[in-house]
Amino acid sequence: MSLEGESFELREIQRLEGHTDRVWSVAWKPSTGVDGVPAVLASCSGDKTVRIWEKSPSTGSFQCKAVLDETHTRTVRSCAWSPSGKNIATASFDATTAIWENVGDEYECVSTLEGHENEVKSVSWNASGSLLATCGRDKSVWIWEVLPGNEFECVSVLQGHTQDVKMVQWHPHVDILFSCSYDNSIKVWLEDGDDDWHCVQTLTEANNGHTSTVWALSFNASGDKMVTCSDDLSLKIWGVDVMNTKSGEGYAPWKHICSISGYHDRTIFSVDWSSEGIIATGAADDAIRLFVENKDNLVDEPMYKLLLKKDKAHEMDVNSVQWSPEGDKLLASASDDGTIKIWELVSV
Amino acid sequence: MSEKFSATLRIGDLNDYIAPSQGCVVSLKANSNSTSSTSKLGKSSSEKLGRPGHAVKSGETEPVKISLKDCLACSGCITSAETVMLEKQSLDEFLSNINKGKDVVISLSPQSRASLAVYFGLSPLQVFRKLTTFFKSLGVKAVFDTSCSRDLSLIESCNEFITRYKEQRSTNDQQSKLPLPMISSACPGWICYAEKTLGSYILPHISSVKSPQQTIGTVIKNNICQTLSLRPEDIYHVTVMPCYDKKLEAVRDDFNYPVTEVDSVLTTGEVLDLIQSKSVDFGTLEESPLDKLLANVDEDDHLFGVYGSSGGYADTIFRYAAKVLFGKEIVGPLEFKAIRNSDFREVSLEIGGETVLKFALCYGFRNLQNVVRKIKSGKCEYQFLEIMACPSGCLNGGGQIKPKRGESVKELIQSLEAKYMEDVVVTDPFKNPIIKGLYAEWLDQPGSEKAKKFVHTKYHPVVKSITSQLQNW
Repeated sequence: MSLEGESFELREIQRLEGHTDRVWSVAWKPSTGVDGVPAVLASCSGDKTVRIWEKSPSTGSFQCKAVLDETHTRTVRSCAWSPSGKNIATASFDATTAIWENVGDEYECVSTLEGHENEVKSVSWNASGSLLATCGRDKSVWIWEVLPGNEFECVSVLQGHTQDVKMVQWHPHVDILFSCSYDNSIKVWLEDGDDDWHCVQTLTEANNGHTSTVWALSFNASGDKMVTCSDDLSLKIWGVDVMNTKSGEGYAPWKHICSISGYHDRTIFSVDWSSEGIIATGAADDAIRLFVENKDNLVDEPMYKLLLKKDKAHEMDVNSVQWSPEGDKLLASASDDGTIKIWELVSV
Repeated sequence: MSEKFSATLRIGDLNDYIAPSQGCVVSLKANSNSTSSTSKLGKSSSEKLGRPGHAVKSGETEPVKISLKDCLACSGCITSAETVMLEKQSLDEFLSNINKGKDVVISLSPQSRASLAVYFGLSPLQVFRKLTTFFKSLGVKAVFDTSCSRDLSLIESCNEFITRYKEQRSTNDQQSKLPLPMISSACPGWICYAEKTLGSYILPHISSVKSPQQTIGTVIKNNICQTLSLRPEDIYHVTVMPCYDKKLEAVRDDFNYPVTEVDSVLTTGEVLDLIQSKSVDFGTLEESPLDKLLANVDEDDHLFGVYGSSGGYADTIFRYAAKVLFGKEIVGPLEFKAIRNSDFREVSLEIGGETVLKFALCYGFRNLQNVVRKIKSGKCEYQFLEIMACPSGCLNGGGQIKPKRGESVKELIQSLEAKYMEDVVVTDPFKNPIIKGLYAEWLDQPGSEKAKKFVHTKYHPVVKSITSQLQNW
């Protein structure tokens, strides 16, 4: 898609109301919103519930199809669909991660993962859906193997971060796990030959990394770049030369490519890189910003420019932004104001 | 918290230092006039609150003294304050008790012996003799061996297992039945985690038998002291252990009545520090005769003990159960099969194509999580679990001597495993003459009232305090 020489607008399509407390996170169900399958979005909240929203084929508007409640006893901080879309995992401040199975319009809690000492902050499935990672305030990152019959087995408990771990995210193509933390670092975890996992890289201030809490991270479509966002008001772009870790060539380290600073003046809580290359951020100034690679720039290093800033996208902090997976330029955002908004990127 | 504790204790811990974000509850209680920070933490969501550096450290108002006992009773962190631990159970304290004229008695663990043997390139027997020389030169009265008291723990564990197994099979539908699987109780990291985090559902599974450390304590202070003509209150009993968590075990209230069984725990690494601080050439040190009163050494000066470098609980109980319950005498090493990884291994007994016994070794936090999950969901197929908090078990304890430069942890563990059984004659604990003697003159028989009084203990779920739950980081 060419973004050159055009003007864009982030147009509010719909405002989803129903949660009775702040909304922490949203997640689009994979393989929906395409081929006649209606788009499905999950949201989770301080009201201890998860809501499932589906786009009506007739009206084109999103409706709440299910409320996943009476399982978590505290805030549900994050949610993630399995790649098949059959399951959704929810991470809660009640120290558990719940696994829900979707049959028709029904969602049943089929497993509860215990082990974290206290608040679970984030959950992520690997590309094949065979592994699940969680992280939390107890500074640990856990890896679970998904077994038949909704069984989960703990494969590893990783202690490397020195503070609250805010987010875990699997690489989109290979089984490498990334985590980011209140300790200002991003850690990269890889399985060793002996059925256990270990940290192969830590990206810190010393690597041109962040100087405050790293809240979130996201990958570009090809998986050779990663963007991270932080309380230090910057985004950092990281790149890897070759994705050869699977071919036994050893681990290829991630390197800092550039920083995107000067655009945010409050904490950046969320970042998401769309399949078409647009980076969206959600921040504590209630705004959503979009960045794209600046192709005019002819210096060696790629630079990124602000495509647009949507002021007052919400009435309060924007906690989560997520692009729909099917390239239809839909963006979902979640806020402390208790609402979710669906946006469409349109040229004007 | 200190890296020195087992990983299991560290996961149970909330903070690396007593920071206000996840403050020490004990200090908050002590400084009740400074609890404003608590009420702040009680607010709806502090997920997005500012950095910890902005807040006031509890120590800045008034220093708070926290003892290890406070930490054990608390559901918050374990404590990072190494000084808290080292104050009461340190080399300085050890030396000062010798100087004070206390009757200092040492009990040496076989894992520590192996660690020092690998370090100095000696045999475990040589290390035992040289350490006896070394400690006695400092004024220590006797140097004993916890593989001796471990045989007593093992016999009581065998007896407890058979009792549980038969109770489960009996038609008598009493509520008081103790459940299977029975879980070993020798690892203090595991016990602490079970009490603080897992709580009441798991505790009935844990064997009530005291660990070899506490068993040798009770034997020394309640029985052997008479043979030695010493008064229990004059004895300062120090154990040498592969593990820092043992220091926490020693201060449990259950092990301090009527007398303190273990006054101090030194790790293998601390003993090495002591040897080096005295500028002793350990390799050339003279070898003294051993204190055979409580040591697994036969007349020909051969060490003896059981298979299994983490105490041999699964191995010993499996053999005993096979013999007593099914009439099968097993000779030679048992075949433990790795299930997921080398730290999760099982052994089973088949009779007529049917599996009648299935035991497992389960070391390290991740494997522990999976068996605990199975027990909670009622899907655990084992009758006995030897759980140890550390990967590779006790030889890899946090108190052991670290690998030499260029040596991997894996290589060191392999050397330790080999060294551990070097010159050790494998012997059935029931044939240990010292333990037979203790039963004959003191404890009657396994599982007796006296054995229960002296060699068994209880576990207590730690109730989560409100203050520890208020923190909503």
